[in-house]
Amino acid sequence: MTKPLTTDEAGWVLQRPTVEAGLALDESLLESICQGESRFGLVAWSSTDRALVMPRRHERVTGFPEARRILHDMGWPILFRATGGTPVPQSPAVINVALALRCQVGSSAAHLEWGYRRLGEPWCEWLAELGITDADLGSVPGAYCDGRFNVRIAGRKLVGTAQRWRRVRGSRDMAMLAHGAMQVGDTPESLVDVVNAYQAAVDDPQRFQAGSHVALGQALPGLDLEAVLRGLLERLTD
Amino acid sequence: MSTAITVPDDLWEGDSEGVITAWLVNDGAEVAQGDLVAEVMVEKAQYEIEAPAAGVLTIAKQEDEVVEKGETIASLES
Repeated sequence: MTKPLTTDEAGWVLQRPTVEAGLALDESLLESICQGESRFGLVAWSSTDRALVMPRRHERVTGFPEARRILHDMGWPILFRATGGTPVPQSPAVINVALALRCQVGSSAAHLEWGYRRLGEPWCEWLAELGITDADLGSVPGAYCDGRFNVRIAGRKLVGTAQRWRRVRGSRDMAMLAHGAMQVGDTPESLVDVVNAYQAAVDDPQRFQAGSHVALGQALPGLDLEAVLRGLLERLTD
Repeated sequence: MSTAITVPDDLWEGDSEGVITAWLVNDGAEVAQGDLVAEVMVEKAQYEIEAPAAGVLTIAKQEDEVVEKGETIASLES
């Protein structure tokens, strides 16, 4: 299995695992904090294949087995992730960045809002550096897997964020994993259609709007993403 | 002796509610201190809850039930 990078390692690499292996990278990163091996880690990956990824509790939804078959036949197998939220498509058009760190219980750095800002604010600063001056954090009505701490461009969702918290072994400290999934390629329609197909398959009337999402490639056409991604990872490390 | 399992009251700011997404141990099972027993989701964050003591688990809040921070979700009898 590919290992997560840590700040101790020279250079930053965008890893290209399968979705399943990418999710395992996130888990491995969190576990390295829980085991006390490090206090901070970072991983960036974009999958070579595609899947619709959701928390395991969705398995209890009526109609899930049939929905899983339908999505599989569409070329979007369903996988489960350890962070919260609702279904999100993963594909080569999405770049994932996860940071994990050790938090002291009772400190100002041991609650969810802090974790989201620790991930999202450097992300907005990085976008500003690229020339996008209207990036901020907030909810986006009509977006799939909406939350209060999406990274937005002009009110449209660019990055979805989620977290997982776990106790550090033999300590009162907690390990926090904050994950951001940024659509960089394709059109928002291409991914929103997948989530809406799942919604229809489980007979959930809620539908999501492509106009609530934006891909980085739309905002910055021609951007050499791998060349500038290091800047994001360095900001997240500071 | 009974020990309550609660949702940490300093986990998030404000009045957001969470939901129990999974019980990882069955009602009536015996657990050791530190065993992972449940997961709570709030604000798209999954938070793992451990047993604060050893004992027999009695679940008070079922999967998919809404919980507030500081709320008791189960108890342990030792």
